[in-house]
Amino acid sequence: MENTVVKIENLVKRYGELIALDHFSLEIKEGEIFGLLGPNGSGKTTTINCLLSLLSYDKGNIELFGKKMTPVSYDIKKDIGVIMQNVAVLNELTVYENIDYFCGLYISDKALRKKYVEEAVEFAGLGDFVKFYPKKLSGGLLRRLNIACGIAHKPKLIILDEPTVAVDPQSRNRILEGIEELNRAGATVIYTSHYMEEVEQLCTRIAIMDKGRKIAEGTKEELKRMIRNTETVTIEIIELPEEVRAQIASLPHVYSAEHDGERLVICCSGGKHNLIRILDVLQSRDLGFGRVYTELPTLNDVFLEITGKALRDKED
Amino acid sequence: MQVFNAFLKVLKKRSLSAMIYIAVFLGIAIPMASSSNATEAMKLTSLDICVFDEDGTDASRELISLLAENNKIVTLENDRDVMTDALYYEWIDYALIIDKGYAEKLAAGETNDLFRSYHMHDSYSVVYVTNLLSEYTSTVKAFMTSGNSFSDALSKTADALSTDTEVTMKSFSSGGGLKDIVGFYYRYLPYILVSVILGTLCPVIVTMNSRDLRFRTSCSSIRSASYTMQLFLGSAIFVFAVLALFTVVGIVLNGGINGDMLLAVANSIIFSLVVTALTVFVSGFEIGPNIQALITQIASLGMSFLCGVFVPQSMLGGGVLAAARFLPMYWYTVLNDMLMGDTRFDAGKAALCLAVEAAFAVMLVVLTVLVRRQSSGKNAPRQKKAEPAAA
Repeated sequence: MENTVVKIENLVKRYGELIALDHFSLEIKEGEIFGLLGPNGSGKTTTINCLLSLLSYDKGNIELFGKKMTPVSYDIKKDIGVIMQNVAVLNELTVYENIDYFCGLYISDKALRKKYVEEAVEFAGLGDFVKFYPKKLSGGLLRRLNIACGIAHKPKLIILDEPTVAVDPQSRNRILEGIEELNRAGATVIYTSHYMEEVEQLCTRIAIMDKGRKIAEGTKEELKRMIRNTETVTIEIIELPEEVRAQIASLPHVYSAEHDGERLVICCSGGKHNLIRILDVLQSRDLGFGRVYTELPTLNDVFLEITGKALRDKED
Repeated sequence: MQVFNAFLKVLKKRSLSAMIYIAVFLGIAIPMASSSNATEAMKLTSLDICVFDEDGTDASRELISLLAENNKIVTLENDRDVMTDALYYEWIDYALIIDKGYAEKLAAGETNDLFRSYHMHDSYSVVYVTNLLSEYTSTVKAFMTSGNSFSDALSKTADALSTDTEVTMKSFSSGGGLKDIVGFYYRYLPYILVSVILGTLCPVIVTMNSRDLRFRTSCSSIRSASYTMQLFLGSAIFVFAVLALFTVVGIVLNGGINGDMLLAVANSIIFSLVVTALTVFVSGFEIGPNIQALITQIASLGMSFLCGVFVPQSMLGGGVLAAARFLPMYWYTVLNDMLMGDTRFDAGKAALCLAVEAAFAVMLVVLTVLVRRQSSGKNAPRQKKAEPAAA
């Protein structure tokens, strides 16, 4: 049986009148890559801060590795690696010295630390930059240094809070591959982001948050099964008589057909061969059309349907 | 000691300005100290004077003898061009031509057109020689007017003008206390201490205490108290090293330790505590490097001007001094002025100065604690430590 690494029960956090976390509960098993997905202000970072005992909370209970987490739980903290959105390194130290410094906050044995630091350098692909100062690094390399500083001590639980913000695609892929590698090496990962593609690609289980509440939780397949939309068909078509659009909208399993003058977007819920039936209608009316493509639902569709708003619409 | 080591590395990177301040200060203080003995004795300035005696009388030779007492008489070929070249190339400072008939005219009571003088620059010494010649002829005339013969008048004038004026060098030393140069060294020291300690330590503490770094550190297994203690240790070592350097140089300049020197050292130690407390207070705010530099300049230059470091307190207005009383550097300077002998030494007042400086340090520490508490209250969502409540 998998061990529970993180257990949050009925967590309530208020900032004056604002309820940042509203009876939030969560359980993360060992070896998972758990995604916390939600727009800015949904409570992801507050959850992480409470989890790390950096913030007090009004109600609830937090356990890590089966022990109650408090600000003085140093035995628990030594097994946690934290990589925050803001790069937190010392500009006066080189890449190597920075990793060594942060690793040294956990590991006092010099020989072991040297080994860990070298492994972290290799892991982050910073071998050519060990003598560089952070100001000389590109944004992507800086992010990788930030990650290397957070994981050098080989933590059992790694918390990454939006680690890929403002990172170029190449570095982003490298970071995501690195997280998967850490997970394969045995680390449990908590990954918060509002980039649904990343969460979808990376996480084995996902919790969607909004307004301090958990509104859905499960694997990405489970989450997608929670919503009505199973397939979205888009057809490039300029002229579409209203009666044809209405005929398509009335087809079995179609619950929405919207035409904006250039594209017809049809949302389907279950069923098979939806695309064939739709194209049959257009061909029977002898209507010409351009490209046709279908999309499976994304986490954004899940979020949109559950909350009534798009995930990225609420970015601050 | 990971934090301590990192602190020292950051400090090393940020210590360039401190080294410049220290090097410039010591670079000025030490040469001044080594040349300070020159002020302990007074010597009359001597000029190289060339005299062309066209009169060739006893009277003219008497005048040349008088000039020779404090100057060097240079012999040149009696040629106008040679004299001009000698003046131009500064082989001589002054040329005097005693015209023929000098003795006759002087004996007749005339004081004008007795000789001609040439020089290139109007230095104090040149003016002094010109005045001496004028005084000489006037005095001869005065003696003759009072009934002396010409020869008596010449001899009495020579005696009168040969009398050396007694010169006493004014010393600011408080009798066996600080040497003048050490007094000045300690007068300017607070400016350097503020510039070096505040200007160097503040950016380091701000860096080490930046929100993101503290956040990351708080997540680690290092205890918060240990982190703070290691920062404190690093800061203390830096301040101690700076103070030790200045104290050793001060003792060397003074040629040893005496009572006044001990007081000067105590004064600088307590003032360093004030500056350190000020540094900790300022570094509690998340301020950028430009603002840090601005605060350092305002604190060092502002206090130095207001409190009598750059301009002696005796020359500052009452209003300025009244305002300066609310600054620690004022009390430092009051005590230092006593040690320099600028003002009368009063043991009670000296103790008061040290006590007031210490009070400033305590006040700044209390203020730091209050501001940080207030600040942590305002930023509770990001900074307040967890106190898990019962479910």
